[in-house]
Amino acid sequence: MKRRAILAFMLDRPGVLNKVSMLIRKKMYNVDTLTVCSSRKPGVSRMTITLREDDQARVNQVIRQLEKFTEVISVKELDTDHSYWREVAIVKLEVDGMHLESFRDRYNFEILNQQANEICILQVAGSTRNIDAFLDEVGQEHIIEIARTGVTALEK
Amino acid sequence: MTGKELLLKALKEKGVKFVFGYTGGAIMPVFDEMDKLGTFRFIMSRHEQGAAFMAQGITRASLSTDEPQIGVCMATSGPGAMNLVTGIADAYMDSVPIIAVTGQVATGVIATDAFQESDVVGVMLPISKQTYMPLRADEVEKNVHEAFYVARTGRGGPVVLDVPKDVQNQLVAENYYFDAMNFRPILPGFFYHPTPAREPLQRAIDLINRSERPVLFCGHGVINSNAGKLLQEFAEKVNIPVAFTLHGISALPADHPLSLGMMGMHGTVEANRAIMEADLLIAFGMRFDDRVTGKLNEYARNADVIHVEIDPSEIDKNVATSVAINADVYRTLHVLLGDPMLTYKPRRRWRERISGFRQVIAEELRQEIASGVGDAGKLLMKTVVHQLSELTQGRDLIVADVGQHQMMAARFYNYQTTNSWFASGGAGTMGCSLPMAIGVKLARPAERVWSISGDGGFQMNAQELGTIMEQQLNVKIIILNNGYLGMVRQWQSLFFDGRYAGTPMLSPDFGLLSQAYGIPYRKVERLEDVAPALQQAIDHQGAMMLEFVCDPSELILPMIPAGGGFEDMIIRRPQPAGSASDSEGGES
Ligand SMILES: Cc1ncc(C[n+]2csc(CCOP(=O)(O)OP(=O)(O)O)c2C)c(N)n1
Ligand SMILES: [Mg+2]
Repeated sequence: MKRRAILAFMLDRPGVLNKVSMLIRKKMYNVDTLTVCSSRKPGVSRMTITLREDDQARVNQVIRQLEKFTEVISVKELDTDHSYWREVAIVKLEVDGMHLESFRDRYNFEILNQQANEICILQVAGSTRNIDAFLDEVGQEHIIEIARTGVTALEK
Repeated sequence: MTGKELLLKALKEKGVKFVFGYTGGAIMPVFDEMDKLGTFRFIMSRHEQGAAFMAQGITRASLSTDEPQIGVCMATSGPGAMNLVTGIADAYMDSVPIIAVTGQVATGVIATDAFQESDVVGVMLPISKQTYMPLRADEVEKNVHEAFYVARTGRGGPVVLDVPKDVQNQLVAENYYFDAMNFRPILPGFFYHPTPAREPLQRAIDLINRSERPVLFCGHGVINSNAGKLLQEFAEKVNIPVAFTLHGISALPADHPLSLGMMGMHGTVEANRAIMEADLLIAFGMRFDDRVTGKLNEYARNADVIHVEIDPSEIDKNVATSVAINADVYRTLHVLLGDPMLTYKPRRRWRERISGFRQVIAEELRQEIASGVGDAGKLLMKTVVHQLSELTQGRDLIVADVGQHQMMAARFYNYQTTNSWFASGGAGTMGCSLPMAIGVKLARPAERVWSISGDGGFQMNAQELGTIMEQQLNVKIIILNNGYLGMVRQWQSLFFDGRYAGTPMLSPDFGLLSQAYGIPYRKVERLEDVAPALQQAIDHQGAMMLEFVCDPSELILPMIPAGGGFEDMIIRRPQPAGSASDSEGGES
C-alpha cells in the first residue's frame, strides 16, 4: 500500500496528540510513524504522521477530520516528489571499523561511540529506504539495537 | 471570586436558564453556589443520562424560537460523569450543541485513582466536540465562553467541562480580569465557511436548470439553520420535490405538494423510487448516512450530486459530489433564491412518474390505517399516530423514542409546525424520548408536547416520570406497547426465520407505575377508544400517560434491508410460503 505523509500544525494543548491518535485508530489505520516537535511559532506544534493507504478519498477524509479539531491549524498531505522525508536511526552494533568504512561514501552516518573493540554506536540519517538499505548492507546479524525517530518531512 | 462563581456567571451570560443534573461529592460546591444565587431553574433528573437528554431537548426545541438556548447538564465525577456518556455521544452523532459540566476530584489527587475519579476528558474526547479541564480558577470563565463558542460554531456538538473540586473553590487573584463581551477564543484553525463560494454555486444552478429528474434533500442542517421556509420557497421556485432525512422532518409541512416524505431505510416508496431514478440530487445539510443511502455502490448511480453542508469532512465522505458547497444552509438558500438564473421547469414527465410512485401503496396504507387493527385485533401503531395527527391537526411537538413506533411517528404524523419533530437519529438511543420531551416542554412551554415511546425504550428512562412529577410538567406520554422490542422483532421476522431471541418483554403495570408518580393514566385496547383517549389527554391540564396495546406483528414498511440497495426495498409484508404472491406488474 502507498505510504502517505500528513503534515499538521496544531496548538500545543493537552490532549491533542491523544485526539490525533484516536482519530487514526477510529479510521482503522495503524500509524507507521508519528513525530511531533515544536514549530517556529510559540505554542504551535508540528506533527508528521505516516500511514499506508491507496485510496486518496480515504486520505482526504483523515485530513478533513483532523482539520475539524479545534486545536488544529492546518493539515496537508506531502508527496515524495515535492517534499523531503527523512528520519534518523541510532544503531548499536557489533562490527569492526574497517567494515563500516566501506559504506562511508554511500551513507550519511556518524560514529558516536566506539569504546569496546567491536561495539559501536552510530547515527545514520536519510530516507526510510536509505536507512533500511544501510542496515541490510551492514548486515542485520551485526545489529544489537536500533532506535529510529520515525519520519519527519518538509516541503520543497 | 471563586471558580464556581465564575462558572455560574459565565453560564448566565451565555443565556442559560435551566440546569439539568444530579449532585455528588465533586460537584457539590457548584450546586451549593447555584442554590445561593437562585438564578437558574435547577431540574433534578433521576439519572444523569436523563439530564443530558433534557439538555438536548432545550437546544433542539429552542433553536427555532426567538431565544435559542444551549442546554446544560451537570453531574458529579466518576459514576455521575459516566452516566452522561450515552446522552453526550447521542448529541455528538446528531450535531446538537449542549454543555456538560462535571465535577472532578481535586487536582492534588488526579491520576491516583481517587474515590470517584474517572478520566472524564479521556472518555469524552471521541464523543464530544471539545473538552476542557480548567486547572486554575482564572481559566474557568474563559473555558466556559470558549465551550459555548465551539459548541455552536459551524456544525454543532456537545462540549464537556471537567472542573476539579479545588478549582471550583479556588479564589482568583485580586487583579483577575475577564472581558466577557469582547472575548474571542484564539483558535486559529477553527473556522467555518458560512457563505457559499460563487463558482460552485454557478455550477449548481446550471445543473439544477438542466436537470430533468431532480430531487431535493432536506437534512438536519435545514432545521439547525432555521432554513425551512427558505427551502420551501426554493423548492416551489424551481419546482423540485423534497425528500427528508429523519432529522429533516418538520422543516416544511409534511403534506406540502412537493413533499415526498422520508427517504432511506424506512422511507416512503415515492422518496426512494424518485431517488433511484433521479438525475440530480441537491442535498442540504445532511451527511449521507448509511440508513439514508443503503448500499453505497448502488446509490443513485445516474445522479449528479450537489452537496450543501457546513461540515467539510462530510463532503465526499460517503457519496462523491459533482458540486460541493461548504457553507451554511440558510445562507446558501438565501443566495440561491436571489439568483436570477434559477428557473422554474414544469418537468411534466417527472411529476407524473412521481405521482405514480405515490400511488404504489397509498390505497393499501389508507385501508390499513382505517382498519386500525392487526391480526389479533390489536391496535396498529400507524393508526394511533394518524389519529393523534388528525386530532392535533399536525401542530403539536412530537418527541419519539427509538424503534418501530419512532418510524411510525416519523411517517404518519402530519407535521405542520417548523421544528416540531425530535428524535435520536445518528445514535438511535432508546430511552431518549421521555427526558428529551422534558427539555422540549421547558423550551416551548406554550406548545403541546407528546413523548411517544415503545414499551422497551420507555423502561430505559422511566425514572424520569419522577422529574415530570416534581416539576409538574405538562408532557403527554404515549406508550405504544406491543410486548416486544418491536424493531428488532421486525428484523427477526424478516431475516432470522421468525426466531424471537431476546425480544419478547414483560412489562410492569404501567397504570400502577404512573399512579405511583401521581400521573393520570388510561389504557386503550379498542379502536373506538383511541381518539377519545387522546382527547382526554389533551383536555387534561398536566401530564397524562396513555398506553396503547399494539399488534406485535405490525411492520414498518417499506424497508430497505441493512446493506441492501434501493432495488431491494420491501414494500409489502412478505406472504408466508405457499400463498399467492402479491406482487403486481408495473411498479418494480
Ligand atoms: C440503548 C439501545 N439499546 C438497544 C437498541 C437496539 N434497538 C433498536 S430498536 C429496539 C427495539 C425497541 O423496542 P420498543 O422500545 O418496544 O419499540 P418498538 O420497536 O417495539 O416500537 C432495540 C432493542 C437501541 N437502539 N438502543
Ligand atoms: Mg415495543
